[in-house]
Amino acid sequence: MTIHCSDLAKVYEGGKSGWPALRGISFGIKPGEFVSVTGPSGCGKSTLLNIIGLLDEPTGGAYRLNGRDVFTLSDEERSRTRRDEIGFVFQSFHLLNRLSALENVCLPLRYAGAGGDDMRARAASLLARVGLHGKEKKTPLELSGGERQRVAIARALANSPKIILADEPTGNLDSASSREIMDSLFALNAEGITIVMVTHDKELAARTGRNIRMRDGRIES
Amino acid sequence: MIRALLNAARSGAAEIWAHKTRSILSFLAIAVGSVVFIDAFSAIFHTYERLEKQREFSGLARMRIIQNQAASYSSPDDYVEPPSFGYDQLKKLREQAPEFHMISGEARSWRNVMEYAGERLVASVAGVTPEWMKRDFGYTLRGRFFNWHDMEEKLRVCVLIRRAPPPPAEKIYRKAYSTGNAFDTLLTHNDLLGKTVKIDGITFTVIGVAEEFPHSKRLQGFSGYREQTKVLIPVTTGANYGIVRGGGQLEVSIDAGPEAGFDDALRKVNNFLKITFGDGDFFLVENQLEEIRKNMAARLKDAFVTISLGMLAFIAGGIGIMNVTLATVFARTKEIGIRRAVGASRSDIMLQFMVEAVLLGLIGGVLGSALGWLWGVPLKVILGMGASPIKPWMPLISILIAAVTAFAFAIYPAWVAAGLKPADALRAE
Repeated sequence: MTIHCSDLAKVYEGGKSGWPALRGISFGIKPGEFVSVTGPSGCGKSTLLNIIGLLDEPTGGAYRLNGRDVFTLSDEERSRTRRDEIGFVFQSFHLLNRLSALENVCLPLRYAGAGGDDMRARAASLLARVGLHGKEKKTPLELSGGERQRVAIARALANSPKIILADEPTGNLDSASSREIMDSLFALNAEGITIVMVTHDKELAARTGRNIRMRDGRIES
Repeated sequence: MIRALLNAARSGAAEIWAHKTRSILSFLAIAVGSVVFIDAFSAIFHTYERLEKQREFSGLARMRIIQNQAASYSSPDDYVEPPSFGYDQLKKLREQAPEFHMISGEARSWRNVMEYAGERLVASVAGVTPEWMKRDFGYTLRGRFFNWHDMEEKLRVCVLIRRAPPPPAEKIYRKAYSTGNAFDTLLTHNDLLGKTVKIDGITFTVIGVAEEFPHSKRLQGFSGYREQTKVLIPVTTGANYGIVRGGGQLEVSIDAGPEAGFDDALRKVNNFLKITFGDGDFFLVENQLEEIRKNMAARLKDAFVTISLGMLAFIAGGIGIMNVTLATVFARTKEIGIRRAVGASRSDIMLQFMVEAVLLGLIGGVLGSALGWLWGVPLKVILGMGASPIKPWMPLISILIAAVTAFAFAIYPAWVAAGLKPADALRAE
């Protein structure tokens, strides 16, 4: 699944002429790449990731996902694309604390129309894959930070996405947990899943196949 | 779609359970609306049911001839003794209006002494005419009722009225507040048919015992006649022996038969009075059809006022649900963002909040229906108000209205929730 952005711009409302987060960004990502996006806080990394993940819309430029102009997609199509093609891993996990680890993983499957024992078995196998076998019934509040992030990875994998977008996935974790999460992401990339990861960590970025450095809403290199 | 609905219902139920206090507050108003609605529905239904029963039982074309107490005279010298509408006039009217279903005359006396086998008890006696049995008092007669021969010959015959056992609640009430009734006890323990009793010292033969219909089968028509009299005698006999008072004046009830001919019947009775008694306006003809209609209109008006109150309660409940749902949307903005990120569409989010609100409405409706039934049946019976005729469709309609109200009031908050941009929602704290 290819990602192609040209002259992408995003201006947030506010002030006289708004606040520009992205000022004309152009790049492409090929299927199976592991791309890191680095840069100082406020440079537009997360905004870029949100736009790539169809969580936000740019105010200018063009974005083609696998050849399709995402501007022309309806809300239903954008939601379906998010559900089936993209998995998200966030810095603060973004799990529903009311639900068990298993139920959290089931969430994207439910929106895909799955249900019953098959759905639960799939969710349980995903949790086992990220090393959380036996912790299916625990709520996020009963899990460590590293475990929560692994639940988030299992959830991201629920509908077998082609792209995983990770927004500082190790930002809230200790070094041991960070290593585990990164190992998981590298393993997924090795399976052919495209990974775009926003990070502050230059060492981590150096380990990825390609690094996009951003500053003030523009790509530095 | 069904799976999406089930998912939304599961999620809604979990959310309602997780916020019990908030949920209870929001569906309570809906429940109040349901109670009021069921009460009003059953009141309307009861009104029509009673009308139907009345029509079935004795028709609606009823009138009563009563003495005009308000007749005025310009000077005391003009005063003339008002004439009486007695047995002879009744017979004459009967001859002139054979098409009428009933012309019944009655003269009452409230306190008489009846003696049987040495036992003396107080019993109210009414002098009646043969057609008395056609009035809207339901009973099963053993023996026979009076005929015109009994009237003409002023025979000393009587019919006793045996009361039906009171309804359960009234029984409790009676046990608590009353020592019972000697007359009813006498009739319960003795079969007096064919026996002789003394009324005010004069011997009468009991030719019939009329047993009142059981409470459940009794007519509760608009003329709402509940027989208080215990002993009936021919009105001519009563007058002859001075047992009933009224100076020969009878209270005359007429059932003209079909409603369509009521105006003609009314005209006929008025003409009869004019020809018989002159222009003195000594009598008034009470139009009971009109009374029944007025009575019914008043009852329906009351019921519609109640329905309006129910509507207000529902609206208040709906506003409550809207508030709760809006508060939920703001409290769960991040959750909305997460759901959107994992693939929920706008319609999924909208469905989730709508289903949650409708569930609240349904719970309120079911609770209200249960309370409405509790109030309408066991409580009203215990309080001696008579059970409301609650039909199965009444709670169903009430639950449906509750759900529709919740649905209508949840549209806006659900639309707000669905309109949130995923990235903005995820940033919410």
